[in-house]
Amino acid sequence: MEQDIHIDEALASIQKLVDNIETVIKGKRPQIQFILTALLAKGHILMEDNPGTGKTVMAKTLAQSISGRHNNAGVNFKRIQFTPDLLPMDLIGSHIFDDVQKEFVFKKGPLFCNVLLADEINRASPKVQSALLECMAENQITMGEITYPLEQLFFAIATQNPVEMEGTYPLPAAQLDRFFIKIIFGYVDEETELDIYNNYLGIADNLAHIQQVLSMEEILFLQNETEKVTIHPELVKAVRNLVWDTRRHSDITLGASTRSGITFLKCLKAFALVNGRTFVTENDLQIITAPVLDHRLIYRNRDAKASALASILNKEMDRLSKLKIG
Amino acid sequence: MIVTRQLCCKYAGGYQGPLYNMQIGKVHSAKKVVAQLLLLALPTAALVWYVLFSINQYYQVLQNQWLQQGAYYLGGMVLAMLFYAYRFRFITTALLLFAVYYVAYKLLGKTAVGEFDTFFVSVQLLIFSILSGAGWITGYGFSRSRYFTIAWSVFLLAFQVLMVSKTDQVTANSLILAFAPVLFYSFYIIYTAELLRNMNEDEPGFGWFVGRRITGFTVLAVALLASLLLVFQKQFETIEKDWAGGKGSNKKDGAESMTKQNRDGSVSNKDQMRVTGSLSKDKRLVFVANLDNYFPNSTTPNPLYFTSLYYTKFDTLTQTFETDANMPANDLFKPDPSKIPLYFTKTDTSVIRNTNATLNRKVVSADIYKVILSPNEFIAPSTAFFIQPIPVEKEYASQFKSAYRTKMWVSDLNSAYFIYNPAGNKGLEQFQEQRFQQLRTATSYEGISSPFMDYYTFMPNNPEYQRIKNLSLNITKDAKTPVDKMVAIRNYFLSKDEFGQPKFKYSDNPGIPGLPSASKLNYFLFENRKGYCAYYAGATLFMLRSLGIPSRIAAGFLTVDRSSKNPGWYWFYADQAHAWVQLYFKGYGWIDFDTTVPDVNTQQSPQPDGTPPMNPQKPWLVADGEAVTVDTVTQRVTMKVKKLLYHDKDFETIVSKDMFMDVSLATITKDTGGARLSDIKPGTPIVSVSYAESVQEIEPAPLDTLGSIIAKLAKPVPIDAVKIMETAAEKKAKQQQTQAEAKPINWANALWMLLAAIGGFLLLLFWLPWLVWQYYNTRAKKSTANINQKAYRVYTASMYYLNQLGMQRHQQSPEQFANQMDIRFTSNFERFTAVYQQIKYSNRALSNQQQQVVHNFFAPFKQQVRSNLSFKTRFVRFLNIYNTLHYFTKPKTG
Repeated sequence: MEQDIHIDEALASIQKLVDNIETVIKGKRPQIQFILTALLAKGHILMEDNPGTGKTVMAKTLAQSISGRHNNAGVNFKRIQFTPDLLPMDLIGSHIFDDVQKEFVFKKGPLFCNVLLADEINRASPKVQSALLECMAENQITMGEITYPLEQLFFAIATQNPVEMEGTYPLPAAQLDRFFIKIIFGYVDEETELDIYNNYLGIADNLAHIQQVLSMEEILFLQNETEKVTIHPELVKAVRNLVWDTRRHSDITLGASTRSGITFLKCLKAFALVNGRTFVTENDLQIITAPVLDHRLIYRNRDAKASALASILNKEMDRLSKLKIG
Repeated sequence: MIVTRQLCCKYAGGYQGPLYNMQIGKVHSAKKVVAQLLLLALPTAALVWYVLFSINQYYQVLQNQWLQQGAYYLGGMVLAMLFYAYRFRFITTALLLFAVYYVAYKLLGKTAVGEFDTFFVSVQLLIFSILSGAGWITGYGFSRSRYFTIAWSVFLLAFQVLMVSKTDQVTANSLILAFAPVLFYSFYIIYTAELLRNMNEDEPGFGWFVGRRITGFTVLAVALLASLLLVFQKQFETIEKDWAGGKGSNKKDGAESMTKQNRDGSVSNKDQMRVTGSLSKDKRLVFVANLDNYFPNSTTPNPLYFTSLYYTKFDTLTQTFETDANMPANDLFKPDPSKIPLYFTKTDTSVIRNTNATLNRKVVSADIYKVILSPNEFIAPSTAFFIQPIPVEKEYASQFKSAYRTKMWVSDLNSAYFIYNPAGNKGLEQFQEQRFQQLRTATSYEGISSPFMDYYTFMPNNPEYQRIKNLSLNITKDAKTPVDKMVAIRNYFLSKDEFGQPKFKYSDNPGIPGLPSASKLNYFLFENRKGYCAYYAGATLFMLRSLGIPSRIAAGFLTVDRSSKNPGWYWFYADQAHAWVQLYFKGYGWIDFDTTVPDVNTQQSPQPDGTPPMNPQKPWLVADGEAVTVDTVTQRVTMKVKKLLYHDKDFETIVSKDMFMDVSLATITKDTGGARLSDIKPGTPIVSVSYAESVQEIEPAPLDTLGSIIAKLAKPVPIDAVKIMETAAEKKAKQQQTQAEAKPINWANALWMLLAAIGGFLLLLFWLPWLVWQYYNTRAKKSTANINQKAYRVYTASMYYLNQLGMQRHQQSPEQFANQMDIRFTSNFERFTAVYQQIKYSNRALSNQQQQVVHNFFAPFKQQVRSNLSFKTRFVRFLNIYNTLHYFTKPKTG
């Protein structure tokens, strides 16, 4: 029997959040869904596109929707602008000599928060990027000999410009693997763009006055509910097949890891919930596979990047669609 | 097989190194190449072997080396597959290949010594190039083109139609033999090629994937082949024997003879006579004949001709003279002696009427004693009309298997003309000249029916035969009457060249493996000028026909071995099988002429031993019926008599009577030779003969019936000879066989049947998508068991329907696809899909509303789709088998 999910409550919360974000971000429903998926799956998200497509606005809107403008509801939001000269201690914090106690005390950096916006993450050096590894994977930070746990809710939203652009350091594979989902932000369609131009003052105003719609408890509640989403054994098997196929494919030099597979399952559940369902379907698999897996794979060439994962997914979708039931 | 393995291992090994080298990259992985070789090349080679095996029976030039030829083909195919798997260019490699062939051909012309050698070797090279070139193209097709298999299958089927049309007997057996393997192969190759195209070689268990299929194929093929072999074993054995001269091996020389070996070891004239490269020398005695002489003073000059068959039709494609059961004015008497009881007779006087010959004709009789001539075979001088099987005396029974007496309607003009008569023999020349004088009175063919004339003067109309015509017109320009023209042709064959050497020579082995397309007769007449009887007869036939003289070829035996001690006895040996021409003269009928030049090198046959079988006594009682009881100790047999020949009078009865017989002194025979009393079983059909005086003494009264005569006879009746006839089962088997052989060929019907079969196959192919749809559709409509099953079937049917209409889900989730369809057809597909997904992946119960969606979806959906797509569009798309294939094939991961 499926676990009882407070579906109405959960859906209402999600809808509130989506509506709130859409007052600022127009025509980006799929991207919003992906971001919420990452949030509900207790993961992190990486958004990539050219400058000026609304990545940062999106991150800010989301952060403010769940943390409020004044941080008084307990959801702590921090924004870090990554630059080439940024140092790890700028993120983690450092030991500072306390005159009163005559000893070094740890001064926590901006990483100790609930929602972190890492803007233009690939402008920082690999050293700094690595500093994010532990906190993103294990929700903790180790400084010297002491390990500091992070808050129960820790959600990192990173944005980056395409790797080909000047002044960027490509993220290491290990770092990329930490991001549950990577989405290409993309331009809005023509009509929405016109709409944005006509109302840009209003939108800016909306951003300035965005309200917190969900409390931390509500977020944690949603994350808990996500765990209860049903996933059919055949779909688990499909995830296994997809992961294995990426390892076998002749045009993929680095396939997906087992951790990616687990991430994948979490994302599937979260995506199903975001779509208002208490069970995962083929639809979820079709839509979420690329955002979850694509950035983890290393392809042999550009053609392969365009087609390899799609063909693997196509094969698996074909298998699923012909499963006999009833 | 071994070659294949080595080659692909070599290539596979070479591939391991430049893994990232994309410049000479491969199209397929080594695994896929191996799979192609095993699953496509090998079965294709097997089929090609089979096809070549059949072709070899029609085209002499191929010399029955089908194994080797199949290997050429396989070689070409494997090479092409390997080449194109490694991205060689087609044009360049093919040009290179043909350049190699050309150079080899040129080199051969320079190095080979001797006219025949060159000819022979270049023909071999040609066969090799054609076959390996064809293999090359096939291999390329398999590697590169998706649609090739279909074209290839159609080609093979068409080719088989052509091959079947070459056979002189279209029977169910030959059709099955020709088409079953090809059809099976076609299905297999289309399926497998598509499978290989779509599979992912990186999948685990690839070996198992390939292995499973090849095992399945092998099992099916073995089952098919085994059943074919089982059913047609005898046919194949005959073919092999036919080819190997009865020794079961592939001999190049002397393989072809004018006689054919039957299954029981006996001999009969070939049904088909080919102009072939060689003729075997076989010294076995075939039969012995005693002839009531044509001429009062026994001055019949040698040789004597015995006719078995007439060849009236020439198939220009196979270069084969054919018999024709439908020839006009059929004057061929063809009974089966083994089916007529001893002393009973069979007469067909229609042949006399058909000869339409009244002048110089009379009835002559002959006794024929068979040695190894088949019991079914009937042979006699032309225009026989009567047969009466006679027993063979006891002391000769071991040598002569059976005998019959026959009567013929013969012309005393008809005798031994031309050849084998030593030139310069004044007596003979005078003898012939007398007869020519008489035949010169038959100057025209006026009043003879035009179908008859058209039929017997038919010849193909093409430049090759035009050349023959020109030659014969030139030779016979001074001759006025048909017989003078014939003499002129005879003289041409006997004429000498400027060095005083004979222009034409006799050769049993003229050694010209000519191409089937080129006329062998042309080669014989204008270049080689060596040959045996079939060449001379064939050439003469066309020369005569080109002059408008009705003529045909007769085949049978000729002998020069007349017994000097026993006048009237002739001995016939296997190597005396012969062919000659017959000319039709108005009023005189068909007259034999033989234009084969004398063979100066070989002596025809050994002298006969000179002890002919004795003439049998006059039988007083002949009873035909079947044995009822047999007592081997007291040597008494009771038989049920159905027909009785008593003192030369026929008695028949409806209710058969039992007759008790004493067989202690009787000779017991069978068609195939001697037999014992124990061979007679109750129910065995037998014929009993008595020469006894005690029987002679009891004269039949005018009112006697069969029953009253048997009652009059002593008990037991002394019997001198018992012949075991064929049992009912043997008879039936033989009858079936002869019926199958003798069945006239209805070409139009056979062609229509073939077209219908192919049409049916194509129709099925085109209808298949629709049939599949009907299956899904019905299943979806009928399903009421539970909602889950219903949803599944409706969904499958809908997806198949859309797929077949060209709307395939590709890189879309079911909902996305459904949404797209909804936009196009304003249907409810997305909602249905959502429900279906819930059923599939969740165990939550459906709400009433959702159940309604499932129940009410299918019919309106189909309606919506139909109203949005024209009938024409739907029809055309439903014809497309590739949509169906796409639906059922798994996508590959590239």
